[in-house]
Amino acid sequence: MPKNSHKVKVALKYCGSCNPHVDLTRIARHLTKLAETRGDFQFVPMLEDAIDVVVILCGCPRACGNKPEVRARAGQSLLTAGESINGRHVPEAHLPSTVEQELIKILDS
Amino acid sequence: MSMMTGNEYRESLRRLKPEVYYLGKKIESVADHPAFIPHVNAAALTYEMALAPEFEELLSATSHLTGEKINRYTHIHHSHDDLVKKVKMMRALGQQTGSCFQRCVGHDGLNSVYSVTYEIDQKMGTDYHKRLVDLLREVQSKDLMISGTMTDVKGDRRLSPSKQKDPDLYVHVVEKREDGIVVSGAKAHITGAVNSHGHLVMPTAAMKAEDADYAVCFYVPVDAPGVIHIFGRQTNDERKCSCFLDQGNVDYGIVGGEALIIFDKAFVPWEHVFMCGEYEFAYELVERFATAHRQNYGGCKVGLADTLIGASYALAQAQGTDRSSHIRDKLVEMVHLTETLYCCSIACSCQGYALPAGSYMADPLLANVTKLNVTRHIYEIARIAQDIAGGILATAPSEMDWKNPKIGKYVDKYMKGIADIPTETRMRLIRLLEAMTCGTALVESMHGAGSPQAQRIMIERRANLERKKRLAEKLAKIGEQPLFVC
Repeated sequence: MPKNSHKVKVALKYCGSCNPHVDLTRIARHLTKLAETRGDFQFVPMLEDAIDVVVILCGCPRACGNKPEVRARAGQSLLTAGESINGRHVPEAHLPSTVEQELIKILDS
Repeated sequence: MSMMTGNEYRESLRRLKPEVYYLGKKIESVADHPAFIPHVNAAALTYEMALAPEFEELLSATSHLTGEKINRYTHIHHSHDDLVKKVKMMRALGQQTGSCFQRCVGHDGLNSVYSVTYEIDQKMGTDYHKRLVDLLREVQSKDLMISGTMTDVKGDRRLSPSKQKDPDLYVHVVEKREDGIVVSGAKAHITGAVNSHGHLVMPTAAMKAEDADYAVCFYVPVDAPGVIHIFGRQTNDERKCSCFLDQGNVDYGIVGGEALIIFDKAFVPWEHVFMCGEYEFAYELVERFATAHRQNYGGCKVGLADTLIGASYALAQAQGTDRSSHIRDKLVEMVHLTETLYCCSIACSCQGYALPAGSYMADPLLANVTKLNVTRHIYEIARIAQDIAGGILATAPSEMDWKNPKIGKYVDKYMKGIADIPTETRMRLIRLLEAMTCGTALVESMHGAGSPQAQRIMIERRANLERKKRLAEKLAKIGEQPLFVC
């Protein structure tokens, strides 16, 4: 795939990280590597137009980043909130790999 | 019918025939016995205030099941606003009663079981959540008061439920039948038990596979066969039957009126069973209930503290000390402590979150901090109240002496404070302060919703010490130096 053409646009939205229960940057680093490996998606800023997927990274179940206006920025969204992904409990150690699986499901759909 | 008045609630109690004992005697009518009337009055106010325009915004809600207006005490929280309103409702009720109005425990039980049954069903393929929703519809439509029945008597605290010498020291299933289960055991300290319509019974601790028979959650009507209530004694409870003024808080009493509930081979039909052997969910249920209940304490106890501050101020005025700088300073300290507790409850509500069932729960760490602070601050508030009141709190003559034709004039003359405030005013305030600070009420602040150590355990589990260590290491230039510690 030619670089930057037809790549799925993925944006990361953090909750604000006031007192996270889990290490959100580990998830972000994992996804950055995944983008390099797969080459079919790229990270873009939240202000970009026509975002395809927004990955909402929240440090605790309060999920402050999970707002309608954030979800509305993209066609699809994926929510991590503390030890959970889309409302399903996931232990912290498995968060990066599970977010990867969920993102791939979206990318391949 | 969806919302009862206070009197309709009293009448509904009269139609029930629970087996209740107090001071060794069987009670005929809970709603009409002087030992229980103050507790019934306090619970009745949860009905009255829900219908009062001044309070309906807090005490009523819209059912997510039917869309109808219901008492908030039968509502499942579906937003942060619901969580915050629960706290505000409890402060308002605490201010009006100066006592425990009991209905929060069952409310917290319903919310906890609602969310956990959903998750059990998701994992185990059971239908507990539908059963709970069916019960909830009945509770909402009839405006029932449900006790939250959790604490087992526990016997030897070193041993798990199944390892106890006497198997009944934790409530457990003794028989599974086609039409339901039979349970035995006992639950202690159950608030509002004798004047509830039914009991929502939950396990009290984390369970292992060998404790599966003890991982049981169910509902029974208060007058179900085999359900026996023994009402507990309270400090100065004989005054309920012999005095008026000396009760202090004659309308609403002190604390909630707790009872020991015995289940002597009580039958529970399957439609009222919400957990039966799913031991791996017992801890989750306990933690959710504990969180919900500990969230409350910066609401109800704050309302009580408001009245206590008012009583202290009024008594200082009656005694001529209210303008003294040290008294003003003590009153400010009481307010500071009180509002600190309120901050905690509001905070844990605002930091609450949605669960898979769609309902909301408070933040567990902050809810536990709330309750742990209550175990300290309410004692300190009471200590200051006693300091302001003076030793008369423990030595005042009784109302019988004050009414005695021969010596009453001496009581009236020598118990007087400043000249233009009647002695009776001072005596009433002294008795109110005595009721609120000198006995059972304080113990409730210590152990209600779990003893302090239970809160410490949950705080430690959620303390995230490793992250705090990384924050410190970054500043001290130890190890990795990321731009941010997240």
